[in-house]
Amino acid sequence: MDRRLIGLRRVTISGIKNFFRNSWLTIAATAVMVVSLTIIASAVVLNVTAKNAISELSKNLQISIYLKDSASQDSINQLTKELKSNKAVSSVTYISKAEAQKQFNTTFQSDPTLVAGLQILGTNTLPSSLEVSLTDLSQINNVGTVPSQSKYNDTVDSVTIGKTDVKKTIDRAASAQHFITLTSIVLAIIFGIVSMLIIFNTIRMAIFTRGDEIKIMKLIGATPTFIRGPYLIEASMYGLIAGLISSGLVLLGIFTMGIKISNQVEFTKTYNYFTSARIIVAMIFGLVVLGIFVGVFSSLLAMKKHLRLKTW
Amino acid sequence: MGYFAIIKSRMILLDRVTKNYNKRGTALKSISLHVEPKEFVIIVGPSGAGKSTLLKLLTREEKPTSGKIIVGGIDYETLKDRKIPLLRRKIGVVFQDFKLLPNKNVYENVAFALEVVGMGNKEIARTIPKVLDIVGLTGKESSYPSELSGGERQRVAIARAIARQPKILIADEPTGNLDADHAWDVIRVLEKINKYGTTVILTTHNQEIVNKLKRRVITIRDGQIVSDKSGGKYK
Repeated sequence: MDRRLIGLRRVTISGIKNFFRNSWLTIAATAVMVVSLTIIASAVVLNVTAKNAISELSKNLQISIYLKDSASQDSINQLTKELKSNKAVSSVTYISKAEAQKQFNTTFQSDPTLVAGLQILGTNTLPSSLEVSLTDLSQINNVGTVPSQSKYNDTVDSVTIGKTDVKKTIDRAASAQHFITLTSIVLAIIFGIVSMLIIFNTIRMAIFTRGDEIKIMKLIGATPTFIRGPYLIEASMYGLIAGLISSGLVLLGIFTMGIKISNQVEFTKTYNYFTSARIIVAMIFGLVVLGIFVGVFSSLLAMKKHLRLKTW
Repeated sequence: MGYFAIIKSRMILLDRVTKNYNKRGTALKSISLHVEPKEFVIIVGPSGAGKSTLLKLLTREEKPTSGKIIVGGIDYETLKDRKIPLLRRKIGVVFQDFKLLPNKNVYENVAFALEVVGMGNKEIARTIPKVLDIVGLTGKESSYPSELSGGERQRVAIARAIARQPKILIADEPTGNLDADHAWDVIRVLEKINKYGTTVILTTHNQEIVNKLKRRVITIRDGQIVSDKSGGKYK
């Protein structure tokens, strides 16, 4: 076997042995890292969930402009054009009287008397309308003033701005998303630093307790890589195991709690997204890589400070 | 013979080597010294005379303040730090306090030195019995250092030092912690190794050993070589 391969194998075995040698320190270091990674992952999941829910809810938040039967096609076109030129508007859909009738019939399918009642009236009394969807919900009242201008007096019958309860929900969701983001950033930083310190300390202790071994290794001609390797492997093990546990916890959360709200229309898409194989693999991989990165980084710091490989 | 030809023919060459410690002052004052291949050299002198500093310069644990050091054809001045491990593989070192790993048995302690340099397990398994035979520890493979006498421990340390077949063996007070009988066991092993062709540098306080060995004796006092005689005696 190639000498490098032999060396790599020995370094790996020795690193794994170190990992299991001091079990309490190992458990502490892994546990704190699990907490940090779980917080980060949950923050991402909650953020995406909130964002998707908001955009789903926003679909309900439209401006309906009811048009007079006497409105001219020109003036309707002009109003449509003006609305579309507004940056906050994502789409303007014209609903003709016939379409309004159709929608009414579908909506009230279960109530034949109401549909029949409308037919009794003979003529279609439902007005045609423009349904305006928005990209920027904060502009809703602003956009609502467009059809209220006096030049559209002959065109517009009335304007309905969204369902107010939906707007409140969205506002709440948006501020929750804001809170989640902020809190999770702060917590992730705190726990990230704590787990770095603990791993730093774990590796430092390992270096101290094996001081003689390291000294002998230096004197019998071990290369710096061979001396450093086991500590890097040990630190990577914290990352690997913590990454697997924390992604397991987050996925458990999604599958047990997420499934309960998955049939609500605001959450269905998000649930399907997070439970797709691609995203599950990406999440596990991402958390493991992040964990290993944190572990390796802190162990490198510890070695730089305490291993003194500069002086042979 | 030119300067470089001289350098090549020597195992160890020190040319006007001085070592100053910032705090403790001068440890070695312009020492010049040649050691031939396969030579057995004893270095004596009181504590603090500079023996340890000299050995640390040879293993490149310390750098000289000035002067030239060449060991086995390697000029320490041009030796890059990352090449130090390769140098160390050519030099075996034995200490007064053995420096064995207490949680490894005899076999593992010796194997450790070979693992570090990337030797395969099969080759290690072939090498160790030979080495343990040289130091007279056949059959003690699975003993732990705590189960061995001081002399046996030191012989394990020697086995570890010579397993990689270094050109030079540096023994820093190897008998310092041993009673007379065990000390002689260790010295006989060193002589045997020297007979096989390894250059041996031995430091000791033991007057009896120095006088009986009748080898080249270098006496260091206050950082200077005060005498250098073959078949020399302890002063």
